[in-house]
Amino acid sequence: MFCSIFKSLADRGYTLTFKPADDASLILSKYGEYLYENVVIFAPSVEEFGGTLSVEAFTEFIDGGGNLLIAGSSSSSDLLRELASECGFEMDEDSTAVIDHLNYDVKDNEKHTLIVADPSQLVDSEVIVGKKPSAPILYKGTGLIVDPANPLVLSILSADSTAYSYNPDKPIKEYPHAVGKNTVLVAALQARNNARVVFSGSLYFFSNEAFNSPVQKANKGKLFEKSSNEAVVNALSAWVFKESGVIRVKSVSHHKRGEVSPPPAYTIMDDVVYRLELERKSGNSWVPHSANDVQMEFVRIDPFVRTTLKSTAPGKYETVFKIPDVYGVYQFKVIYNRIGYTGISNATQVSVRPLEHTQYERFISSAYPYYASAFSMMFGVFVFSIVFLHYKDDEKSKSD
Amino acid sequence: MAGVKSVLGKIHHEYVSNTPKKLKIIDAYLFYILLTGVFQFVYCCLVGTFPFNSFLSGFISCVSSFVLGVCLRLQVNPQNQKDFVGISPERGFADFIFAHVILHLVVMNFIG
Repeated sequence: MFCSIFKSLADRGYTLTFKPADDASLILSKYGEYLYENVVIFAPSVEEFGGTLSVEAFTEFIDGGGNLLIAGSSSSSDLLRELASECGFEMDEDSTAVIDHLNYDVKDNEKHTLIVADPSQLVDSEVIVGKKPSAPILYKGTGLIVDPANPLVLSILSADSTAYSYNPDKPIKEYPHAVGKNTVLVAALQARNNARVVFSGSLYFFSNEAFNSPVQKANKGKLFEKSSNEAVVNALSAWVFKESGVIRVKSVSHHKRGEVSPPPAYTIMDDVVYRLELERKSGNSWVPHSANDVQMEFVRIDPFVRTTLKSTAPGKYETVFKIPDVYGVYQFKVIYNRIGYTGISNATQVSVRPLEHTQYERFISSAYPYYASAFSMMFGVFVFSIVFLHYKDDEKSKSD
Repeated sequence: MAGVKSVLGKIHHEYVSNTPKKLKIIDAYLFYILLTGVFQFVYCCLVGTFPFNSFLSGFISCVSSFVLGVCLRLQVNPQNQKDFVGISPERGFADFIFAHVILHLVVMNFIG
């Protein structure tokens, strides 16, 4: 039923291990080491995991850097609901489904729960969902609610403005929990340790049936031979299992302008060259990552300099700036968080000292009057002393 | 106006006739310092504070010289004899020179 997605994963080099969700021998880690890098949970209605698995085990797995792909459905269990809320999503109540009376597929003329989602409802990130497909996406399942204030959570596919989430068999008596574009169909979390979680309210979304089904929106919509679920799911699974959108810092270097190696300490007002290399995972190798929005901050508690790095070659960035006239311990900081990419947070600490006593400018022409005055004071005291002492003798001799 | 003039004239007369000549020498020295200080201040106002340490040391050298001069004048003045019991004018002068040596060391160090 789901062989397409698993075959695609196996083709991409994953070793797949299939286990029933209530298998008593289920185990994620042994002797503190995780046995798996990625976990797919296609068990929406499981009431309790077998073996040592629990919601806590999965949250620890995420904390340890593991990736999760989870699918729910209209009849999701409390266990899955709890796992979702641990990741920052909220699933709508049991037996609810996303209903859209305008954007449903022709095959579902009764309940209008087989949603036809336009590709424009996908998140605008090629890294996560691949190239925008032309055909719509089929979805059938419950709706998710995402806290917009949570910066780590991302809505990957949201419903159209005419959708809502409610039990399709009951008359609507309460205001639905999720209405319009706030109804999220597929949500993602990229944790601070860059572990990724994708949560879909629909198991059908990943099924062979959805992959191969023709799509036609009701009310005489255009007929597409094949939905774009397969393309989206392939891109999405590549993202969630960190095949795509993984960037890292290859090297950081800094030195004074005109030199090649970093000094033990910089002096205020020095011109500094800061270089950064970023690379992106591509298959099994790393390739240069090009962007035009990488910023660097020169921070001593507050940023004193914030500048966009210039790209000198693919993946290589550089900036030249003048250290401010303030000494102390600084950091070159690059914090780069972009949708779809792993977060980069890189800090290099350097100290900046004041000028040495001999480094100050001397014999400034505009200061000559001051020099002259200071020397005239010395000279004045000399002449005065002579006159004063001499006169004293004079007076004494007179009075004698 | 005439009153003011007569008062000033009287002060001048008193000063010329009653002040010991030694004190007049000190006064002339103090006047010279005052002029130098005023000159530096005006120059700084015109040119700006750029070599600020130079201005500070030049100006402070004047101010301190003035203060030291006034101190010397107080100690040497025969009218203040009873306030400085045990401090002879010679001792006062030695102190004055000693303070000047330290002052000018500091000024030269700071002037840049």
